[in-house]
Amino acid sequence: MIRLSLLAAVLMVLPATAPAQAPAPAQTPAPAQAAAPAQASAPVGDSAAGAQKIEMCIGCHGIVGWRTAFPEVYKVPKIGGQHEAYIVRALQAYRAGERSHPSMKAIAATLSDKDIADLAAYYSGALPKTASK
Amino acid sequence: MMKKPVLGLLAMMMLGAASAALAADLKAGEAKVKAVCQACHGADGNSQSTDYPKLGGQYPDYLAKALRDYKSGARKNPIMGAFAGTLSTADIENVSAYYAAQPAVLVTRH
Repeated sequence: MIRLSLLAAVLMVLPATAPAQAPAPAQTPAPAQAAAPAQASAPVGDSAAGAQKIEMCIGCHGIVGWRTAFPEVYKVPKIGGQHEAYIVRALQAYRAGERSHPSMKAIAATLSDKDIADLAAYYSGALPKTASK
Repeated sequence: MMKKPVLGLLAMMMLGAASAALAADLKAGEAKVKAVCQACHGADGNSQSTDYPKLGGQYPDYLAKALRDYKSGARKNPIMGAFAGTLSTADIENVSAYYAAQPAVLVTRH
């Protein structure tokens, strides 16, 4: 269900695509009030797609209490349950070189806007009761 | 051969972390949070606005690192740069410890 409505949201955002998919009165252009939290042009995050892209993340962010080794030592932040829009901004900032952690810069550089949206959707969806420690 | 120095270093790091945690003053942290941070991040670090990250239950050493970077300008954000600039080294430890001690709204997702 969620998948379908997400798809519908995507289709509504892209005006020219597949008018046949629109149910019933598709006369009025859908109000540009898509589910996307960020800017209007940003891709919509898909949590299930994000789950397929976390190999590069879990080595550090998937281990409770994992510490960075370089250039400073501190525990890598918990990101499960963080605001989706904040995760997007953080990854964009690393990709743009505005935040300087070497590993995060290198990894973020490989991510597309869609990858970032998907990962943010995946990580923001974690519920506080599922973990902590 | 490598084991001893590595273990020693690890022990020193753990001691360092432990003493920093002990040194933090939660009461002073709470006072600073209420004066400086809570308007955006909330008193418990669980900001409802997506403009501001959630901080409740985050690791204190990560929070302190972020604040130090904002203060030094290594991490650029006009708002956080200004606020972090008003915090002393002790303030940074204290507010970080305070937010870390709040009910966790962040988790490690595997």
